[in-house]
Amino acid sequence: MSRTQRKPRIVGVGGGVASAAAIAELRKEGFDGDITLVSAEDTVPYERPPLSKEFLLGRSGSVPVKDPSWYQQNAVELLLGVRATRLDLAARTVHLSDGSAVPYDQLLLATGVRPRALPGIDGAGVCYLRTVQDATELRDRINAARHVAVLGGGFIGCEVASAAIQLGKRATILEALPTLLYRALGPDLGQVVAGIHRDAGVDVRTGQPVTGLTRGPGGGVRIATGDGPVDADVLVVGVGTVPNQELAEQAGLPVGNGIVVDEYFATAVPGVWAVGDVVAQHLPRYGRRVRVEHHDTALRHGRAVARNMLGRRAPFGDVHWFWSDQFEHTISSAGLPSTDGPLIIRGSLEQRSFSAFSLDGERLSAVISLNRPKDVLDARKLIAREHRATADQLRDESLPLKRLAPSTATAPSAATASSAATASSAATPSAGTAPSAAGTPSATAPSAGTVPSARTAP
Amino acid sequence: METARWRETINLDDLWEGDMTAVTVDGEVVLLVNLDGTVLAYSNRCPHQASALDEGDLDGETLTCAKHLWEFNAATGCGINPDDAQLTRFGCQVGENGTIYVDIGPR
Repeated sequence: MSRTQRKPRIVGVGGGVASAAAIAELRKEGFDGDITLVSAEDTVPYERPPLSKEFLLGRSGSVPVKDPSWYQQNAVELLLGVRATRLDLAARTVHLSDGSAVPYDQLLLATGVRPRALPGIDGAGVCYLRTVQDATELRDRINAARHVAVLGGGFIGCEVASAAIQLGKRATILEALPTLLYRALGPDLGQVVAGIHRDAGVDVRTGQPVTGLTRGPGGGVRIATGDGPVDADVLVVGVGTVPNQELAEQAGLPVGNGIVVDEYFATAVPGVWAVGDVVAQHLPRYGRRVRVEHHDTALRHGRAVARNMLGRRAPFGDVHWFWSDQFEHTISSAGLPSTDGPLIIRGSLEQRSFSAFSLDGERLSAVISLNRPKDVLDARKLIAREHRATADQLRDESLPLKRLAPSTATAPSAATASSAATASSAATPSAGTAPSAAGTPSATAPSAGTVPSARTAP
Repeated sequence: METARWRETINLDDLWEGDMTAVTVDGEVVLLVNLDGTVLAYSNRCPHQASALDEGDLDGETLTCAKHLWEFNAATGCGINPDDAQLTRFGCQVGENGTIYVDIGPR
């Protein structure tokens, strides 16, 4: 290069996994312009899922998404401990809390969410959980506590109660709705989770609105409930989140329970993109906007937006997926479950090993599983591609889920080789070929779906 | 010097193309993968949090861990997502009678 030309600059605002994944993908895909990451937190982006699980148990420290040295090696400028205070979309500039300003050619908003604060529920002994700083404080408080109370029986509340019990503490969950995880799982599955917590020793108090908070004996908190006061050493509040959309909103970008983006993560202003927990994304598959707070989705948002920022039109079609660990149990889910329709159960709620499917006509639309992660993997692939499924098929444990994908193979044996298909988990483009020279059995797995999907995961 | 310690495991007849299974070799759980007739052996523990990989999914050459969806290229052991992860690979060969031998190396 004989002349220097100003390189294009991409600025990412927000220090979560979506931002980090976008930056990593930009470099991986060859973007050699300038990249600046702005984060209000004073650490490089880290994994949030362990914070309510292994981190509280002392089994894990903070796990960076990318090692701090990666940013240096990849010429990513880190502005940590700095808040973006104002966007000037006309001048393409981000103003920062330290008084400085950063110009951009393309802007990525990944400002995430914050815990919803309850009026009157604050002060000494009250903890929220979002950041590694929150988690560090909470871990110390739980370790010093005898009784941990949790306000809210959602995923955060359930995982914190699980950690508290595993650390030998008393734990109480106060939930206004009739079961735990009511909004996420619905009444029937929520009841199963409540049973798990009760069996593990958690004092689960559902249908319990909390009416106030005062200082309790011994420096703890006294929580007023409809059923009388509960005294605890620490109260963890997990009652949902609020999207950090003010920065976008004040700049005039459309918002509505999140920053509004299309399936390409584009906001209303060219060159300004948004990803992660903060976005309300219009997805044609659902015909509506969805805001999803899954770690895996944020990660995939990041990767996908990078390709769009580089000029490739890459609509987001990945199937939403999440997991939650509570005691020895794992809840996992694919798709966007609606908990008001009938659920089709494979397995047993009583045995705490099941998958609960939702059907949209003859299409599987979502699954929630307890201790059946493989079902979720199979269902996730099905949801992403063309298939037909009936309630009876989904209930039938002898029928592998992957058999529900239509096969492109037209081998004559396809219709009859059910036992062979059952034994094989082949789902490869090579399945259905003749035996190999090495003498493998003829894996004419008829069911192994190899339909090319426009929505395969990256 | 440690010499190769090949241990007999299962027969190729029991591991179809495109399939994977876990076997125990010298106390180590080993994942056997059959890609188009080529058998490879890896530690069955996901490098993320040691979850059992045989409970995941093998689709073509893509191996997905069921626990947190980490993806690997089953032909190379290299991470796809994230791309800086790596499966632990063991020596593996198939005898004339189809017996799959694995050497997990010095412990």
